[in-house]
Amino acid sequence: MPNSLTNRSGTTYPAMNIALHNLVPLPLSDKLGTGPSDVWATNVVFATGQWVKLRAPSGTGKTTLIHCIWQLRSDYTGAVHFDGQDVRSLSATTLSAYRQQRLSVVFQDLRLFGQLTARENIELKRVMSARPLYEPAAIDDMAARLGVSHVLDQQAATCSYGEQQRIAIIRALMQPFEWLLMDEPFSHLDADNARKAAALIAEECTKRQAGLLLTDLDHDDHFTYTRQLNL
Amino acid sequence: MNTLLQKIIRSGVGRFRYIVAMLGMGTAVFFILLAVQTHTNFNELLHGKRNENEAADFLVINKQVTSQTLGKKELSTFSPAEIDSLKKQAFAREVGVLNASNFSVSVESYTDALPFYSDAFFESVPDAFIDLKGKENWGWQPGQRDLPVIIPSFFLDLYNTGMAMTQAGLPQLSLDAVMAIPIKVSIRGNGRSQDFVGHVAGTTDRLNSILIPQGFMDWANANYGYRSAQQPARIVLKTLDPSNPALVKYLDDRNWNTNSDKTRLSKVRTIVNWIVGIVGGIGLVMLLFGLMVFSLFIQVTLASCRPDVELLQTLGASPAQLQRFLMRQFMPVNAAIVAVMLVVVVVLQLVLHYTLQRAGMFVPLYISWVTLLAAAATVTVFWVSNRRTIVRFIRS
Repeated sequence: MPNSLTNRSGTTYPAMNIALHNLVPLPLSDKLGTGPSDVWATNVVFATGQWVKLRAPSGTGKTTLIHCIWQLRSDYTGAVHFDGQDVRSLSATTLSAYRQQRLSVVFQDLRLFGQLTARENIELKRVMSARPLYEPAAIDDMAARLGVSHVLDQQAATCSYGEQQRIAIIRALMQPFEWLLMDEPFSHLDADNARKAAALIAEECTKRQAGLLLTDLDHDDHFTYTRQLNL
Repeated sequence: MNTLLQKIIRSGVGRFRYIVAMLGMGTAVFFILLAVQTHTNFNELLHGKRNENEAADFLVINKQVTSQTLGKKELSTFSPAEIDSLKKQAFAREVGVLNASNFSVSVESYTDALPFYSDAFFESVPDAFIDLKGKENWGWQPGQRDLPVIIPSFFLDLYNTGMAMTQAGLPQLSLDAVMAIPIKVSIRGNGRSQDFVGHVAGTTDRLNSILIPQGFMDWANANYGYRSAQQPARIVLKTLDPSNPALVKYLDDRNWNTNSDKTRLSKVRTIVNWIVGIVGGIGLVMLLFGLMVFSLFIQVTLASCRPDVELLQTLGASPAQLQRFLMRQFMPVNAAIVAVMLVVVVVLQLVLHYTLQRAGMFVPLYISWVTLLAAAATVTVFWVSNRRTIVRFIRS
C-alpha cells in the first residue's frame, strides 16, 4: 500500500485513510444493537488501497454510510475522519478539493443532470478540475467498453436506468481519486455488463493505487476484495 | 465547464420580469449619471472661463443705516476685524476699503455756459479696483494741480435724461464733452484751503461713488483732514461668483447691504442646486430599488436552479468556482446597463453642447470625468451587491 500519492498538479498527499469512530446515524440509532455490525458504533479504519466490500440487507444504512462519508449528511453521533480530521470540520473549499482530487463516488440514485447529455454529464466531471486527468477521448473509450457509446449524445433523463448507471460509473472514473465509493453500482446491470463495469473500475483503481468501498446486498465476486464487512 | 454550467443554470425567471428589472436599473443609473453631469455643467456655466463676461465681479458693501444706528456714525463703519473676517471667506478674492475724504470739498464750473456749484465728497480705492480705460492718466503727484476724478456712469445718465431735458438752457453732454470740461475743485480744512483743476477721467459702473486717486486722498487727508483717520464706511469686494449663496448669506447675517443686483442670481442658483440634488436623490433611491429588484431577480433565478447548484456542489464544484461562474452570469448585464446609459448621457451632452452654443453659452462637448467616476462607482455597487447575494446563496 502506498504511503503517499502525487496528483497531476504535482501535489503530494499522504496516503489517505478513512476512519469511522463510533459512528451511529441518528435515524438508525433505534435499530442498531439488535445485531452485530462491523461498522456501526465501533472504530474502523479503511486504509489506503484496500478494496472493501460492505454487505447488508435493505434498510440497514448502506446509503446512509456512503452519505456520511461523502459528508452529505451530518445527523450522526461519533465521527468520520479523513486522515485524522473530522469531516464535519472541513471547509466547503477543502471538501470540494477532496471531492475533485481524492474521493470519487457512484451514488445509488446516480445523480445525473437530466437536462445534460450523457457525454456532458461525464465531461462536467472531467473539466471540474483545472487540470483534467483524462483527454476527452477517454470518455468514448470507456463508453465503448461499457456499451453506452450509442447514448453518449442523448439526454441523460431519456436513458434507461442501466445506461445511466454506466454513465455514472464513467463519470466517477474521470477524476483522480484515492478512494472510490460505490453504492450498489451494478444494481441495474445484467451479469455481463456488471462484469465489464467491474473490470474497468478495477483497472482504474489499480492505475491510481486507489482503495474502493462498495456496498451491496449480497455476496459478489466482482473484485478481489481485501476486506469484507457486514453492516 | 462554463458552457456546461450555463446549460444547467438556465434562468427560471420569465423574460418579462427580466426586462422590467433591467429597465428599472437602467432608469436609476441614467438619473444618477444625469444628475452628476448636470451638476458639472451647471458649475461650468457659472464658473467656466468661457462663460464669464468679466474675470470677476465687484460688490460695494455698506452697513445698513437703521433708526438704531442714527446719530452713531461709528456703527456704520467697518472694523479691521470685520474686514479681516471678510478677507478670509472662500468667496472673497480681494477686499478693498473705500477711503472717504476727511475734508470739505466743493466743485464749481469755470464757465457761465454751464454754471454749477455743489458741495461734494470724494472717495478713493486702491488702483486694483479701478476699471478705467487708459489707466495711465489715473494718478496724482504732490504739486500737481490737475486732479482726475471718476464719476458713476448713472450721474451722466441722470444729467442727460433728467436735468438737461427739463431745465431750459442746459445742454446734453457726451462723455467726451464732460471729460473736456475743467472743474474747479476746492478743498478746505484745518483752516486752510486749496484749489485744483478737476476733470472727469471716466465713468464707472463698478463703484457707486466719486473717486479720486488714492495718492491725492492720502495727501489731502494728511494736510486738510479735520480729525485722525476714521474707519471706512464702505468696502469693495472682488469675487468670482456674486451669486454664491454663501456670500449672500454672509452679508444677510450681518445686515450688510450691497448695491449690486448680481447677488439676486443666488436664489436661482439655490433653486437649481436643489433640483439637481433632487434628481440625484431620485436616482439614488431608484438605484436602491433597482439593486433590490435585481438582487431579488438573482435570488429567484438561483432559487429556481437550487437543486442543480446543490448537485454541482455534491459532485465537487468549489464555492469559488460557483461564485465565479454565477458572477459571470449577472455582472456583464449590469455593466452593459451602465455602459448604455453612459452612452445616452454622452449623446445628451453633445446635443446640449451644440444647443447652448447657439445661445452663446458653453458646456463641454464631452462628459466630465466625475460622471465617468460615478459610472465606475455604480458598477462597483452592482458588483458588491451581486457578490453578496451570490455568496449568501452558496453558503446557504
